[in-house]
Amino acid sequence: MSEDDGLTRLVHQVRSVAVGEQTRFDDGHLTVSAADAAAALADEALASTTVSWASPGESVRIVKVLDAVEPRTKGAGGGGIFPGFVGPPRVQGRGETHVLRGAAVVTAGYLPRAQEAVVDLSGPAATLSPLGATHNLVVEFTPAEGAPWDEVDRALRRGVLRLAARLAEAALEAAPSQVEELPSPAARPAGDGLPRVGAVTNLQTQGAFKDVFVYGRSFGSGLPTFLDPGELDDGAVVSGQYGHPSLKNPTFMHQNHPVVAALRARHGVDVSFAGLVISPEPVDAGQKELVSAHAARVCAAAGWDAAVVTKEGGGNADGDVSLKMDALEDAGIAAVGLFAEMAGADGTGPPIVVPPERATAMVSTGNYDEHLVLPAVERALGGDTVALLDQPATDELQLPTAVVYCALSPLGWGNLTCAPEAVTAQ
Amino acid sequence: MSRVVHYMNQFFAGLGGEDTAGTPPESRPGPVGPGRKLQELLGDEHELVATVFCGDDYAAGEPGAVDEIVRLVQEAEPDLVVAGPAFTSGRYGLACGRVAAAVAKAGIPVVASMHADNPGLEEAVPAPVVASGEAARRMGPSLETLAGAARALLGGEELTAENGRIGAVPRLSRVSDRNAATRAVELALARLGGDQEATEVPLPRFDHVAPAAPVADPGHVTVAILTEGALVPDDNPGRLESARATRWLRYPLEGVDALAPGEWRSVHGGFSTTWANEDPHRILPLDVARELEREGRIGTLFPAYLVTAGNGTSVGNARRFGIEWAADLHHSEVRAAVLTST
Repeated sequence: MSEDDGLTRLVHQVRSVAVGEQTRFDDGHLTVSAADAAAALADEALASTTVSWASPGESVRIVKVLDAVEPRTKGAGGGGIFPGFVGPPRVQGRGETHVLRGAAVVTAGYLPRAQEAVVDLSGPAATLSPLGATHNLVVEFTPAEGAPWDEVDRALRRGVLRLAARLAEAALEAAPSQVEELPSPAARPAGDGLPRVGAVTNLQTQGAFKDVFVYGRSFGSGLPTFLDPGELDDGAVVSGQYGHPSLKNPTFMHQNHPVVAALRARHGVDVSFAGLVISPEPVDAGQKELVSAHAARVCAAAGWDAAVVTKEGGGNADGDVSLKMDALEDAGIAAVGLFAEMAGADGTGPPIVVPPERATAMVSTGNYDEHLVLPAVERALGGDTVALLDQPATDELQLPTAVVYCALSPLGWGNLTCAPEAVTAQ
Repeated sequence: MSRVVHYMNQFFAGLGGEDTAGTPPESRPGPVGPGRKLQELLGDEHELVATVFCGDDYAAGEPGAVDEIVRLVQEAEPDLVVAGPAFTSGRYGLACGRVAAAVAKAGIPVVASMHADNPGLEEAVPAPVVASGEAARRMGPSLETLAGAARALLGGEELTAENGRIGAVPRLSRVSDRNAATRAVELALARLGGDQEATEVPLPRFDHVAPAAPVADPGHVTVAILTEGALVPDDNPGRLESARATRWLRYPLEGVDALAPGEWRSVHGGFSTTWANEDPHRILPLDVARELEREGRIGTLFPAYLVTAGNGTSVGNARRFGIEWAADLHHSEVRAAVLTST
């Protein structure tokens, strides 16, 4: 594959982890040195940080989960990874990217406006979160005295991305366990009459602690634009959005965008993957209408036949999906929207807050309000208590699905649905 | 052999009509009345071990009646409970619906039978209901549907329209063999293939609220200010939730002219509360309301405000808040209200 054609993922599967003297990766075993982690996270807004592993199957719970990042690098010293934060803000998405699959760097702790978010590494909730199946390097932190919260947030974001890049650099010399060639949609042939289907991804850009960054900048004032899916792989989209735990799209999820993966998998089979359009999710209704109409225009200009529209966040974000679905249908593009259902604990309320008016094709990612019982655990990271319940974090907890990190992933990661007919393939 | 318990009213249990409608609940071993035919239809694998019955008035009107009935049902240790058929009979349908809902919440499989127009249909949620005919002359086919549904449930199946299921099916999470992203691409292809109906989510039907007519003489009426912006006294004494609120609160405004920063706080979890806390009037416009009151442009400001947090609130709870607020304000002779939304 030539340099212009797309991205190659050099995948290193992480099978076991430890904290040790040196940061290194040997034959699937990842060791992180506490000193390296502290150096990556050093910032005057942070008094101290600690790292510890939480691995699948362990009796451990992470509370107050903020962002999660998959360790990746494009070369020693940062290369072009996480452009705008670690690498310089130059366009990425080409060449080779090393991926430590099966691992994540996870920040956990108190930030204002962050809503309580829980990950269990064992028990019934483990399968509901992507972090239930990864070795998680959990970063806990104490803010420096007098440091403004937005500085603490900024320091954590930059530090965690640096740490994720640093971990992946340990695998630069290792033979990958898998090599994945990902041609760019732009470089693909039109596709033998196959339908051109793309992804429209709304990013929740609603101010401090509820923002998403593209090439290091808040995307809040942006208009919908094309992004090469390879740019997602290289960390051009970074999350700083800590609301709606089950409905958030952490950086990890953008790096592994499920709709992009589903379209890549079928490209040339029954679909021609037409690309990715990202859109902000403003708070103002008029702005929501503007970006929706604009996104539809971008997709129409690119000759799409169909689009899968996704959101981030709660009720108001339903409106962003619905407005885009209607605008796309008006432009002659078949639109499918992903929605979590907010039908109440017993599932009897109306499922969608703002349904589309003309479009009708919706996929359900499960019931937001349904209650789960999470068994007691031996150890908790991220905090001593669960904010919502005022209970020790290690207790047996009864919580709505809404609190489990990414459990109703608006990007379509999960297998939950409220539609009985969608349980098995027809 | 599985154990089935049958719930019915006093009439079908053979006790009589209106004159015995006050009969308290009672249990008898084995099938009674239409239960005998039901036992036949269920076959030898399933035994109708007990019949619990109750007078229509008692079941629909007596507080605690449903608990008493469920206790008797549980004493018979059922694998499945069937209720009805209640046809279009209102009180009987309500009782069947409520008993079925309570039994389902106790974790026991259950199915009720009634006509689609029976008001008990909504009461049964989350328990399934299958269709019966309109009246007892349709007993035969109604029992056949009920028996079929009972057998399906005992076989571990879920009831669908094919089993005669009617009413709302609760939207609860289940696990698909494909993730949502994959299903979304499949749905897009189905749409492109011409299937305009395909969807996993039926379009919700919302109530339509007609706006009230303008108040003719605002200078002579009591006006209330309300908010879903979660503005509460600084220590949040009523513990209002920041998201998925299950309650609303009332705080007095008597003698309060302005909301001082630091004494009031928004606990809303859906937006940055910095500006709200800097000047609480940005959420609850008490300053302007007092001004209008002084100028005589509104009559009196209602001496309290009602508040909740509108953030991920279920529609069911939101509807309940609305009904309670409207009743409360109406009772207090408030004739206009300004509800601020965030």
